Amino acid sequence: MDIKPVVLIIEDEEAICNFISAILISNDYQVIKAKTGKEGLSLFTSHVPDIILLDLGLPDIDGVEILKNIRQWSKTPVIVVSARGHEREKVAALDFGADDYIVKPFGTSELLARIRTAMRHSPQSATAEALGDEVFIVGKLEIDYNKRVVYKDGEKIHLTPIEYKLLVLLSKNAGKVLTHDFIIREIWGVYTDESHTLRVNMANIRRKIEENPGAPQYILTEMGVGYRMVEELEEG
Amino acid sequence: MELFDHRPDPDAILEEIQTHRDQRPGRLKIFFGYAAGVGKTYAMLDDAQERLKSGIGVLVGYIEPHTRPETMQKLHGLPVLPPKTVSYRKMELKEFDLDKALELKPELILVDELAHTNAEGGRNKKRYQDIEELLGAGIDVYTTVNVQHMESLNDVIENITKVQVRETVPDYIFDRAEKIELVDIEPDELLRRLEGGKIYRSDRAETAMQNFFTQENLRLLREIALRCAADKISSENQSERSLSDKMANTKLLVCIGASPSSAKCIRWTARAAEAFHASWAALYVESTESEELTAQQQKTIRENLDLAEKLGAELVNLTGHDIAATVSEYAKLSGITNIVVGKSRNKKTLKNLFDMDFEDKLISLLPNIEIHIIPGSVAKRNYKKPRKKIKYDRFHFTWTDTVKTLSILGGATLLSFWLHKLNIMNQNIIMVYIFSVLLVSRMTEGYWYGIIASAVSVLTFNFFFTEPYFTLNAIQSGYPLTFVIMLLVALITSALTVRMKAEARLAVRREHRTEILYEINKKLLATRGLDRIVDLTNDYVVKLFERSVIFFTTDPEHGENGEVRQAADDIGSDVLNFADEKAVAHWVFLNQKRAGAGTDTLMGAAAFYMPLISQGKVLAVWGISCGKGNLDHNTRLFLRMIASQVAMALERQHLSDEQRNIMVESEKEKMRSTLLRAISHDLRTPLAGILGASSVIRENGKMLDENTQGSLIANIQEESQWLIRMVENLLSVTRLNEDASNLKKSPEAAEEVVGEAVSRIKRRFPQCKILVHVPEEFLEVPMDGTLIVQVLINLLENAIKYSPADSPIEVRLEREGTWARFEVMDRGRGIPNEDLPYLFTGYKPNESRSADSSRGMGIGLSICKTIVNAHQGNLEAENRKDGGTIFRFTLPLKGSE
Repeated sequence: MDIKPVVLIIEDEEAICNFISAILISNDYQVIKAKTGKEGLSLFTSHVPDIILLDLGLPDIDGVEILKNIRQWSKTPVIVVSARGHEREKVAALDFGADDYIVKPFGTSELLARIRTAMRHSPQSATAEALGDEVFIVGKLEIDYNKRVVYKDGEKIHLTPIEYKLLVLLSKNAGKVLTHDFIIREIWGVYTDESHTLRVNMANIRRKIEENPGAPQYILTEMGVGYRMVEELEEG
Repeated sequence: MELFDHRPDPDAILEEIQTHRDQRPGRLKIFFGYAAGVGKTYAMLDDAQERLKSGIGVLVGYIEPHTRPETMQKLHGLPVLPPKTVSYRKMELKEFDLDKALELKPELILVDELAHTNAEGGRNKKRYQDIEELLGAGIDVYTTVNVQHMESLNDVIENITKVQVRETVPDYIFDRAEKIELVDIEPDELLRRLEGGKIYRSDRAETAMQNFFTQENLRLLREIALRCAADKISSENQSERSLSDKMANTKLLVCIGASPSSAKCIRWTARAAEAFHASWAALYVESTESEELTAQQQKTIRENLDLAEKLGAELVNLTGHDIAATVSEYAKLSGITNIVVGKSRNKKTLKNLFDMDFEDKLISLLPNIEIHIIPGSVAKRNYKKPRKKIKYDRFHFTWTDTVKTLSILGGATLLSFWLHKLNIMNQNIIMVYIFSVLLVSRMTEGYWYGIIASAVSVLTFNFFFTEPYFTLNAIQSGYPLTFVIMLLVALITSALTVRMKAEARLAVRREHRTEILYEINKKLLATRGLDRIVDLTNDYVVKLFERSVIFFTTDPEHGENGEVRQAADDIGSDVLNFADEKAVAHWVFLNQKRAGAGTDTLMGAAAFYMPLISQGKVLAVWGISCGKGNLDHNTRLFLRMIASQVAMALERQHLSDEQRNIMVESEKEKMRSTLLRAISHDLRTPLAGILGASSVIRENGKMLDENTQGSLIANIQEESQWLIRMVENLLSVTRLNEDASNLKKSPEAAEEVVGEAVSRIKRRFPQCKILVHVPEEFLEVPMDGTLIVQVLINLLENAIKYSPADSPIEVRLEREGTWARFEVMDRGRGIPNEDLPYLFTGYKPNESRSADSSRGMGIGLSICKTIVNAHQGNLEAENRKDGGTIFRFTLPLKGSE
């Protein structure tokens, strides 16, 4: 028999907690609920869940503090749940090691997709995946890491070195949001304000790989937070 | 009830703000004595001990270190502020630490020796200025002073004691004191103390006794001190009456000149004015000769004017050639009852034999006004001499003037020859020469060419036209008289023309000033906006005085920079915006007084700072660079005139700003209440639906078939989604409303914003077809991304709602010059023309349909409009010719960040 993945929900709103656990239970997850930050931390140590859904606005401890606490000794994936308009909070959470975020209100399918992605990127599976990963394919886009070539519709695309680096970084983390600061640090190294350069490069990449840069399919913008490369094309 | 107590009381907060803004000034108590050793410090400390016992926060700010042991014992138990050590010429001086005292802010502070002069390097030159600052900060002050330090009694005391007291305190400080405590002992007792070494050490006591502490001196000083205190009390007793009297009864006028003895007149007038409870003015008449004053004399005048101002006079500056006439004109116009003039005995020049004395002239011009004559000191003669030398200096040899003189005289001689030939009489020739002298005086600079011309013309006339011809002898008997008359006429005419010219020049200068003032005033009236007022004023100051200027419109307490205009070859912004200079400006803001170079406060500064005050509030502070030397009196006076104009303009600006703010606030308030009304209505409808549907399912769940149940749940979902969109819009509004000007803009890629909006709409309406066009060019627009996404979502949502399900919606992004243009186009039914004007207002006037049926047709759009406007953009809608609607908005590509 299968071992069900364990999800820890740290959320003080009962209604939201109820509805999330209903979805998860019906999709074959095991759910633990915590109403406060302290309870969440103690449940985390006693149950060792596979993934955590963390609300940032908790009554006792700031969500970011809980995140820092967990990240001190564990790499368990954490998805942050927050309201729209709190971009800075989300960016902070991502920079402190959250794996992803989801904005209230969200739909069932969106939640499940995010959980699946986060689980896939979790440490246990990542090591297994990283070895065999030589080619990244999504939709009509193909990246060959060995040959350092990108194809669209089977045709080779010419990219500048920086553009290629960016694409590799995003594709290796496909499904995950990468914050602007993270990308800049990874690509340009130093912590300078390269956000303009980043936007220009991103616009250029989109013009090369997307059908329509105004309605991108491969690299999605998360306003005020960062960029996300899709793992599979959305319908429509 | 208890629960609410910890909430701050709004009145209390208001009060706190008020006290922070305009504090109650501190109260001053002066312990007043007639000589050192009468026990002022002792009395002060005694009083302080009492106050300490009654629970008042007392701090001993400064006590003279040579204080006697008995007095020092009184210090016991009082907290003492350690003095600041200042090194001056290798001496360690202990000074009162003003900054620390201001920082500690005790309720009551004791500062000994009001008349003390601070060591160089301190902020203020005098201790009384320190004390004024303390009072200004709301701290009560106790201090001590002796009668000989009173500014207005200075000369009287000097006469009695023959000791000149340099450390003086202006009388207004004395008037400002709430209480004067007279500390008095018998002179005999004082002398006994002195002998006992209780006042000075015995070696110094000896000299002191010989010079100052004589029995007679002490008795006189005591009398003056007692009278002074009595005056103060009596003036307090009649203070109410004296206010009204001041206007009606007496008004004194003192005439100030360049003479140092003017100071005496000023002090006398100040005392007299005090005794009469009268107001008084100090008048300085700028005459044609004032240009010739030496630097020393100009300085004396400035000092005299400063002294008069310090003693409470109203300063008047007039120009005129005849001083007496000018003074009398002014006195008549402003209702002066008494005039005080100085008089020196040493005027024994030839000219004075003919001239009427100044005071005689005044008396004849003003028979109804009392004139007080104060004898001047002997110093007069020293000062008269350099003036004559100056007159010599004034003869400048210039070729043009010489040529002019020679040609005019030559012409006159030629004309005379011709007249002579025609046998026209000599009288006419004399006329010709006099005329030529007049011409020369008119056309050349100064007296000298006129005088030379008159001498030359007498000689030529003698040489050519008197018998015997071609000799300088005159045979005919009446000729010498003719010569003398001719010379006199020539001299007088030349002197007159010169004076006329000088007066014309003065008039022109005065006219020029008035003109400039008028011009500034006119321009200020036409100027709107603080920046422009500052620009305009700075321009004028630089143009007029050729000095750099700095203008602070806000207190540079936290290091804000002032607006600097640099004059050619003068110091610039780097100096004027230096932290030290800002500290001076800050001081001026706090103390409402002039400071900086050329004043008594913070004289180390690079510029002269003056406040622009209106109705007791400092609106701005002005700094005029003194990199080219300190400002002279005229410049300061002129600056002050300009300052009052600028202050008026600033005040007007403040008032209009305030009014506009109030209007904006009320506009906002109106918008908010409209919005609130619309929203609360809009929210009720879907909530009713949700509540109804959910309660039906809960209560009758089993009786409903699957279809009905499913559609009820779908309804709940739809309504909730609508509510969420509504709330998101509202959130955008609150983001805007917090402070529209404070919109956080950062550069965003326009195409990303479009992409984000489209992807979010697609998630909500997956079946919908949206065509997106973005330009090849990368467009970066400064904006609040979240808000613009909201705008696009609202527009897209509208487009979807009002167009057939299968028709595509287009989103287009283009560059249009310096603007980014966003368009959302649909193929829907369009907007009725009569609705177009009200599209963005959120509601329609004369709405005939019931409000329930239209679920907020416009809140979304009115929010869009507000957001776009806040980005300095423009949102508009129009119907397409071939069916459908275009919503179009533009955002500036380069905006203020």
